[in-house]
Amino acid sequence: MNSPALPRLKFSFGRSDTGDKLLVSVSARQVSAARWLNGRVAGGDIFTYSDEGLSAFKSYLAATGRQLPVHMIVDAVEEDYRFESLPHSVGSDRSGMLNRKLKQHYRNTPYCSAQLRGRDSGKRRDDRYLFCALTNPELIAAWVRAVIERELPMAGIYLLPTVSEALVERLQLKQANLLLVSITSSGLRLTFFRDAELRVSRLVRIDSSGPPAIKSYAEEISNTRLYLHALRVMTLDEQLSVLIVDSDDTLPELADAIARDNPNIECRRLARAEIVARLGIAAPALDTSADALYLHLLGSRAPDSNLAPAEATFGYRMHGARLGIYALAGVTAFAIAAWCAFTWYQIIDTNVNLESDIEAAAAQVAQLQAQYLETARQFPAAPASAENLQRAVEIAQKINVSKRSPETMMTILGRALDQHPDIRLKSFGWKYGRTDIGQQDPGKSAKTKSGPGPAGGARQQSGLVGGEVRPFRGDYRAANESITRFAAALSVQPEVAEVRVIKVPLNVSPSLTLSGNTANSSVLAGKADFELLLVLKPTT
Amino acid sequence: MNPNVLRALKAPLVTLVAVVVIGVSLQYYIDFALTKAKRDLAQQQRNLRNARAQLQKARDDNAIIARYLNRYQNLQQIGLIGDEQRINWLDALRFANQEGRLFGVSYQIGTQQPYPYADELDPGQLTLHQSAMKVTLRLLHEGDLIPFLGTLAEQRVGVFSVDQCTMERIDTGGSARNRFNVRADCELAWITLRPPAAAGDRKS
Repeated sequence: MNSPALPRLKFSFGRSDTGDKLLVSVSARQVSAARWLNGRVAGGDIFTYSDEGLSAFKSYLAATGRQLPVHMIVDAVEEDYRFESLPHSVGSDRSGMLNRKLKQHYRNTPYCSAQLRGRDSGKRRDDRYLFCALTNPELIAAWVRAVIERELPMAGIYLLPTVSEALVERLQLKQANLLLVSITSSGLRLTFFRDAELRVSRLVRIDSSGPPAIKSYAEEISNTRLYLHALRVMTLDEQLSVLIVDSDDTLPELADAIARDNPNIECRRLARAEIVARLGIAAPALDTSADALYLHLLGSRAPDSNLAPAEATFGYRMHGARLGIYALAGVTAFAIAAWCAFTWYQIIDTNVNLESDIEAAAAQVAQLQAQYLETARQFPAAPASAENLQRAVEIAQKINVSKRSPETMMTILGRALDQHPDIRLKSFGWKYGRTDIGQQDPGKSAKTKSGPGPAGGARQQSGLVGGEVRPFRGDYRAANESITRFAAALSVQPEVAEVRVIKVPLNVSPSLTLSGNTANSSVLAGKADFELLLVLKPTT
Repeated sequence: MNPNVLRALKAPLVTLVAVVVIGVSLQYYIDFALTKAKRDLAQQQRNLRNARAQLQKARDDNAIIARYLNRYQNLQQIGLIGDEQRINWLDALRFANQEGRLFGVSYQIGTQQPYPYADELDPGQLTLHQSAMKVTLRLLHEGDLIPFLGTLAEQRVGVFSVDQCTMERIDTGGSARNRFNVRADCELAWITLRPPAAAGDRKS
């Protein structure tokens, strides 16, 4: 085999393949082939196990046309089954261990496999494996090569007894010790099942022509019972159930003979009609060959125990990968098509909206523009834009509202002077700005700049009142008291925010020099001048 | 990847790649078309909104012009809007002096400056200026100042605000009806308002 060196994983848990396939049964006497189409065996051909048969088989494969995966049964004496318990393991540890075991047991054949058959009930709960192999690979080598040369995907190679496990399962046979007896193209096949699980199988080549054959069959069944006892698979005391698979209704006498000769054997014959009825194989298909029933079982479900090495199944795996990629491409194409269809629908929907909107909007725009032109024609000739027109008027209103005059402060001052005749006004200053009178207004300082002054606080009215106390005869205490009363009279006015005495007739601060004359004369006493700062509350 | 595997899977892989490339291209094209359709729709709706806004603005402008035009023209007439009318101011000063029977008004008008309190008025595109006028009055009585300012304002030759006034009694040895007793110094700000340049002003 010139297959690539792929990892040789000999362990498998099984895979079902319900698609169309090519089924081949190889024995030392003949090769049977049939197609599995639409869930049924369709037709069948038999080839002699010879060079001529091989040539005919190659022609048969060439005529197949399609890339059908090939499933092959081997019915041969050169087979081996052994049960073995191994420490529980998983993953790559398990694969490695099983591959080592397979190499150890079956050094000379690539056709071997191991299947997990459960766990031991002991404390270690070891894994129980069934190892099986075709110990004579040359038996099928040419036939496998013919398949690979034809570039048909080789899906699997199975021993016939492992395929018959499906029969036990389909018939729901529950017997603890069951011996399945059938006549195949190779001879008498005796397969023993313990609790519906394959344990051992024998193939006996007997000339099947004439009544002596029945006797030989019965003897082999009896011998098999002894053989099982010798293998310690079961004891002679145990009940053995025998199921005779009589696909051509030629073995009714065998069942009678067994029942007669072996009282502790429960024998039952599965007649042709029952096979057809219970296993779903068509009667004509059953007649095509002695192995037709097993081809049907293999077509229905391939067993786990695939003997084919990775090199042999490379084509099949590539076949599966091709199908997978094509399926992925199909799903991708479908998804893209669905998405494109949805998006295209959106585009059509949008375009429908767009077209209707464009028509409606264009009509509305034209109508609005006509209205606009009409409105614009009605505009009176204006010296400025509407916005500036409105703003200029509003600014003029604000200027008028914000204007102030000294009148309010003069009125307040007049009321206070009326109440204090000893106070004489000498000077009066008034200012409306952001700073009090006597201080530089930041707005004013900005005059030299090209733009408006910096934004400041609200403007307020402030005044500087200069006056004197008259008459004054040198009594500074009395003068100060008069000034204080005058300031108090101003401060109680509701419009006044603050009154501050800035200058008094006599400054008694320790930081200044103080001089004067105590003579009781108004001429010598000097003047009692003072200054007040008056600030009004801001008004809106 | 193993060459044998690659050879075995060449056709399906090429098919898959072709499907993906064609699909992505198709999707890209359709996406582009959808985006364009949506953009066209949005543009059309924007045009409609703009036309509506333009019409509404024209209506609003028309109403504003109808409402404010007379008052604006009145402000032009009194000299608030436009160039300064200094000759009119001086005429008004003379008239107020005569009307108040004052003892003469001396004045000094400074150069035009930006109005320092423009920020209080939110002028927008308009510019505000002021010219400071310092006037010195000789009054018979301090009570003559307010009527003088009132008379000046009533002349409607411009808009001014009084920024500062100081009054000082001039001691003449007793008041006399034909002599001034108070000296007043006032600082007035004549305010003018100027619309932006004609270009781009009248937006329609």
